[in-house]
Amino acid sequence: MISERTFIKISIAFSYILLAIGGLFGLLQLVSRTPGAPKLVDEPQYYAVLTGHGVFIAILWTAFFILGLAVFVISSELGKPFRRSLLALAAVLAIIGSVVAAYPIVGGLLIGQPTMGAVLYTFYPPLLAHPAFYIGLALVIIGSWIFAAAVFDVFIRWRKENKGAAIPLGTFGVLATLIIWLEATPGLAIEVIYDLIPMSLFGKRVDVLLDRTLFWYFGHPLVYFWLVPAITAWYAVLPRILNTELYSPKAAKLAFVIFILASTPVGLHHQFVDPGLSISFKMLHTVLTYAVALGSFLTAFNIVMTLANAGALRGGDGLFGWIAKLPWRDPVFSGMVLAFILLGVGGFGGMVNASLNLNNVVHNTTWVVGHFHTTVGGAVTLTFIALSYLLLPVMFGRSIASMGMARIQPYLWFIGMMIFSIAYHIAGIYGAPRRTYDSSYGGLAPSIWDPLLFIGMIGGIVFWISGVLFISNVTLTPLIGKRVAQLDGASLLRNGNGYEKATIYDRIGIWVLIAIVLIVIAYSLPLFEILSRGLSPVLCITPEGLKPFG
Amino acid sequence: MVDRREKVWLVSVLIVLVILLGSIAYALRTGYGVASEAIVLPPEKAPGLFQPGVKDLGGGRYQVDIIAYQWGFRPSKVELYNPKEVVIRIYSIDVIHGFQIVGTNVNAMVLPGYITTIVWKPHQSVNGTMLAICNEYCGIAHSAMYMEIVIRR
Ligand code: HEM
Ligand SMILES: [Cu+2]
Ligand SMILES: [Cu+2]
Repeated sequence: MISERTFIKISIAFSYILLAIGGLFGLLQLVSRTPGAPKLVDEPQYYAVLTGHGVFIAILWTAFFILGLAVFVISSELGKPFRRSLLALAAVLAIIGSVVAAYPIVGGLLIGQPTMGAVLYTFYPPLLAHPAFYIGLALVIIGSWIFAAAVFDVFIRWRKENKGAAIPLGTFGVLATLIIWLEATPGLAIEVIYDLIPMSLFGKRVDVLLDRTLFWYFGHPLVYFWLVPAITAWYAVLPRILNTELYSPKAAKLAFVIFILASTPVGLHHQFVDPGLSISFKMLHTVLTYAVALGSFLTAFNIVMTLANAGALRGGDGLFGWIAKLPWRDPVFSGMVLAFILLGVGGFGGMVNASLNLNNVVHNTTWVVGHFHTTVGGAVTLTFIALSYLLLPVMFGRSIASMGMARIQPYLWFIGMMIFSIAYHIAGIYGAPRRTYDSSYGGLAPSIWDPLLFIGMIGGIVFWISGVLFISNVTLTPLIGKRVAQLDGASLLRNGNGYEKATIYDRIGIWVLIAIVLIVIAYSLPLFEILSRGLSPVLCITPEGLKPFG
Repeated sequence: MVDRREKVWLVSVLIVLVILLGSIAYALRTGYGVASEAIVLPPEKAPGLFQPGVKDLGGGRYQVDIIAYQWGFRPSKVELYNPKEVVIRIYSIDVIHGFQIVGTNVNAMVLPGYITTIVWKPHQSVNGTMLAICNEYCGIAHSAMYMEIVIRR
């Protein structure tokens, strides 16, 4: 049985390990895929490395950091103990699951069989990985459900004793995150448990269109599972560092409600160019995607106004005077605000991706790589980095090992990310493909790709170096950081100022019900279309083209 | 409650959304090339039913049937004379592939078990050798998967 504090330390430490390994993989593929740069890995290894990058960084680094952050926020704000057995079980399942899923990737690379785990983090069938890959993923999902149960258990106990009270903002964000996760994961669980595990063990034939639809049913809300915790931090922590109030706490809750309602019934925007799904359903999902975007637009306004007010209070005047008055030397502040700016860049790109017709130009090009590095690699990761500078002293009672390094690190990440992603966005418009080891195509490739990908590599190296600064800083902090008095977590989060009456936003049950109705409408139609046409199941094949069950 | 800055923001957001929706409506009216209906074709039946090759339908209309496989397209090169409308049908005999003609809006997924149909109306300026690539990861030689489409005017 583990305490909340131990849980936070374990899950955050584990998340750093995943970020470090995944980041190393990122560098290997970045250099190898750039025309003219040295090939650090060969092509089969490249796809194993890319699978590891997606799984360790995009899925697991974010997830484990979010688990730690969630426990921190809930226990600080609600002041109620978790059921320790649930926390322990969740941690054990999630960690064992990650290690099992990592075995075909890392093990495969080490024993010279990279194709054991080279199906990328979207693992579209009928490409086949070692069964451990799918079984590990299933364990992680089950662990995450137990974790959600642990959080809701605390919340329900708190609510019984605080009837009529508004839910604290940080807690609201954590609940929204977990609700989105619970809405989304059934799709993934069905795909993995019903199709992919039997496929990998017994050669079950699977329908590719159905499985892609199940995957993206999960895949889009997944991005809100990443983003909502970052937004929660902007809402709950930024005003605290600035010693002010959030511009509009109500609008913040409204944004969370929008995410709960509309982050799931939109997955078809990843399947715009799939055959077999009607244009009308694709349009329905486009419009719902614009609806979720409203949540982000609302957040943008709320945060900018909060910053402007804080700057004005410090004596900044004029339209832009407030900017200079903000604490840009504080890495917690600069990290979060630079992350916020990256979300602005990524958000507009996202609107392009979500538009049926524009998507055609950028689908599966390096544009998409530029897009999700500004969002999950920028907005989300940089926010978690900034939070680390705040949380580590609280958790370990040590100050950050090198404040000098911490100060420049977010700027390096931001600059590198901008160079990388702008270059990759533009290369994408010219059609350069993503997920591709070598884009020379026998000399037929447009010559404009090479310089753009090269500039992208420079940017990538810059933020990779920034990542090294971060990882070494957080590794050294518990070891050599100066001892400081341990702060109480609650003092880091705004809100403790007394009792507020609940409003319509706090009636989460209603929002969940509406969300379910929207999901049923948006997905029953395409699922009916797929099933009524009749499935077309096919046999699985390994990345080297073998048919073990054929 | 709603102050001026809020209004400005709200209106700009709405303008962006309306522009995007308008552009989609325009694209759908003028011919959005990716067909959404799919023909189901189980791999066992494919050999008799789906023959790769080019059919000249006359008047600048062509039908091009392509097989996608690990790792290549069959045929690996097609020539079209003054094409106005090209119906491209692609069928994968193994895993998921992509099909993208670089520099055009032709970009679609190819799922085994289903035939993908794309209607391409090449612009007058399209001329010479076009590169078509597989843009979805399909195994260890994915980057070697491409074909040529030669347009003669
Ligand atoms: C640390 C430095 C990093 C470098 C140098 C890097 C580099 C790259 C490159 C070059 C690709 C494209 C590979 C291809 O499509 O062929 C890629 C893919 C990707 N990266 Fe990163 N990245 C880094 C960090 C991150 C972070 C922090 C995240 C998210 C938290 C992230 C998420 C992703 C995802 C989701 C993909 C797509 C994987 C796929 O297509 O299967 N990366 N990365
Ligand atoms: Cu999405
Ligand atoms: Cu391919």
